[in-house]
Amino acid sequence: MRLLTITTALFLAMAAGASAEVKLGVLVPDSGPAGLFGPSARQAAQLAADDINASGGINGEPVELRFADVGVPPAQAVEAVQRLWRAEGVQGFVGMHDSAVRAAIVGQLRGQVPYIYTAVYEGGECAPGTWVTGETPAQQLAPVIPWLAENEAASKWYLIGNDYNWPRDTNAAAQAIIAASGGEVVGEEYVPLGSSDFDASLGRIRSSGADAVLVTLVGGDSVGFNIAYAAFGLDAQALRLGTLIEENTLAGIGAANAGRLFASMGYFANIESDAARAYSDRIAAEFGVSAAQPNGMGQSVYDGMMLMAALGNAAGSLDTAAITAIADGTGYTSARGEAVLEGNHVAQTIYLADGSSGGFEVVASFDTVPHGVSCE
Amino acid sequence: MDTLVLFTLNATWQIAALALLALGLALVFGLLRIMNMAHGEFVMLGAYAPVLTAQMGLPALAALPICLIMVGLTALVVERLVVRHLYARMFDSLLATWALSILMREGAELMFGRQFRNVALPVEGVTQIGDVGYPTYRLVVITLVALSFAALWVWYRRSATGLHLRAMVDNPALAQTSGINTARLSTMAFVAGCTFAGLAGLILAPTLGVSPGMGLDALIRSFFALIVGGLGTLEGLAIGALVIGGMQAGLSAAFSQTAGYLGVLILAILFLWRRPDGLYRRR
Repeated sequence: MRLLTITTALFLAMAAGASAEVKLGVLVPDSGPAGLFGPSARQAAQLAADDINASGGINGEPVELRFADVGVPPAQAVEAVQRLWRAEGVQGFVGMHDSAVRAAIVGQLRGQVPYIYTAVYEGGECAPGTWVTGETPAQQLAPVIPWLAENEAASKWYLIGNDYNWPRDTNAAAQAIIAASGGEVVGEEYVPLGSSDFDASLGRIRSSGADAVLVTLVGGDSVGFNIAYAAFGLDAQALRLGTLIEENTLAGIGAANAGRLFASMGYFANIESDAARAYSDRIAAEFGVSAAQPNGMGQSVYDGMMLMAALGNAAGSLDTAAITAIADGTGYTSARGEAVLEGNHVAQTIYLADGSSGGFEVVASFDTVPHGVSCE
Repeated sequence: MDTLVLFTLNATWQIAALALLALGLALVFGLLRIMNMAHGEFVMLGAYAPVLTAQMGLPALAALPICLIMVGLTALVVERLVVRHLYARMFDSLLATWALSILMREGAELMFGRQFRNVALPVEGVTQIGDVGYPTYRLVVITLVALSFAALWVWYRRSATGLHLRAMVDNPALAQTSGINTARLSTMAFVAGCTFAGLAGLILAPTLGVSPGMGLDALIRSFFALIVGGLGTLEGLAIGALVIGGMQAGLSAAFSQTAGYLGVLILAILFLWRRPDGLYRRR
C-alpha cells in the first residue's frame, strides 16, 4: 500500500513535471502584405526557443511555442490571441505585426499577460504590461542623419513616405534631427499605400535640389519607387536613406538601382560580428532548403523572445506585476548585440548599411542608442 | 519648359504602359465579355518569365519564348477547363476568374516564393532630350507600344480573322451559321488576350519590381481605362488609356499622387453611372 502511494506520488510528480512548460504565443504575419516576413519570423522564434531551453528555459521550465497569424485585420488578430490565451493557456506573447494590430492586442490583454512588440515602429507605446524591442524613429535617425551629414555631405533632405502614421511620425522625428544637424527639409510628401507611379514625386525631388531622400515607403511601394529613382539617374543627385529597407526589399530593388542607397536598422544579415554570423549559419543549418533570408523584421522576434525569457527569469514568473517591478534595466544579447530596457523600450545598437552593391555593407554602428520614447 | 517636356514624357509613358496593360483585358472583356479578374495574374506570370530565365542561367532573350509558352499554356488550360463554359455569362465568369486569380497568386507564391524579385533593364541609361534626362528603356517601350498598336489596328481592320472576330462580337449566332468556328475563335481570342497580358508583364517588369501580388494594380487600372474608353474597339482602349493615364499623370504632377488616384476613381464612377458605354461608341 505504501509502495503504491509512493509510486503514485512519484508518477504524479513526473506527470506534473512533464506538463509544466511555459507556453509562449508568437504572433507573426503569415498572410497579408507583411506575409513576406512570416517564415523568417517563425524561424527566429524557433531558434530563440531552442536557445532559451538549452540554457534552462524560463525559471527551469522549457518553453513551448504557439503560433498565430496576425497578418489579418485587427479584429481577427484579437480572436487568435484570445484563443491562444484562454483556450491554450499561453502565458506571454511576442508579436511582430503592424500598429493597428498592436493597439487591438493591447486593448485585449489589458496588461494581464506580458506582451512584447518587436517590429520597427513609430514609437509611443506606453501601455502597462507591454514592452517594445523594435527600433523607434529616434533610434534609426538620431545617430544616422548627423553621420550622413558629416561623411556624405547630406544637408538638403526630401522626405517621402506612404500615407499613414509610421512614415508621418518618422518624418516628424526626422524634421527635428535634420534641423539640429544643420540641414534643412526641402520637401515632404506622402503617397497612398499601393502606389505604382512615382514620376511626379521624382520630378519634385529633382527640382527641389535635395541631396538626400528619406524613404519611408513600405514593401512593393519602396521597390517601385527606388527602381524608378535610379532609372531617372537621381542617385547621382541625392543619396537615399530607408528605415524599412531590409534584405528582401533590397533584392527587389536590384543592385543596378541601389546606388547610394543606405538603410538604418537594428539588424542586417551581414553584420560583422560572431553573434550575427552564428545566427545566419544556424538558420541555414537548422532549416535547410526552407531557410528564409534573415532580415531585420523576422529576426526581431528572436530579440522579443530573449527579452521575454530575461524578464521571466529575473521576475521569477511571467506575472505582469512581478515583471513590471524588475523590468527596468533588464538586458539580453542577440545577433544585434546588447540591448537594455529603459522604461518599456530598449536602448540598442543601430547599424547604418550601404546597399549600393545590391547587398548590405555595414558602414557604421552606434551602440546603446536611446529610444526617445517618454511614457510620463 | 523643362517641366513641360518632363510632364509630357511622363504622361506619354503612363498612357503607353496603361494601353499595354489593358490590351489583353480589352480583348477578353471587351470582345468576349469575360470579366477576367485574373488579368493581373497573367501580367504577373509574364513578369516572372525573366526571373525564371535568369534563375535557369539562360540568355535574357529566352524570356520571350518562356513567357509566351508559360502564359499561353496556362491560358489554354484555363480556357478549356473554366472559361469555355462561361461565355455570355458575365457574372459567373467574374466569380470563376476571381477564384482563378487567387489560385494563380498562391501558385506563384509556392513556385517563386513571396519575396520581391528584380529584373534587370534590357536597355540601361538615360537619354537627354534637351535638358531633360529620360530613362532610355521607357522611350523604347513607348515607341514599341505605338508601333504595335498601329499594326494591330491595321490587322484588325484588314485581316480575315479580324473580320470574323467583329462578326462574332456583333452576332455570335449569325457568325456561326455563316461558317465561322466561334468556339475556336473564342479560344484563340482568350489565349491571345492572356498572352498580351503576359507580354505586358514581361515588358514592364524591369520598371516595376516583381512579386506575386503585383497583378491587382494592373487589373484595376486596365478596367478603368476600358470603362472610360468603351469596350470592343482599339480606339476605345486608346482613348481610355489616354484619359486615365493622362489624368493620373496630370493630377499627380499638379497636386499629389492622392489627387491622381482620387481623380481616376471619381472619373471611373461617373462613367459607370452616367455613361457606361464609355467615350468611344461603336457605330
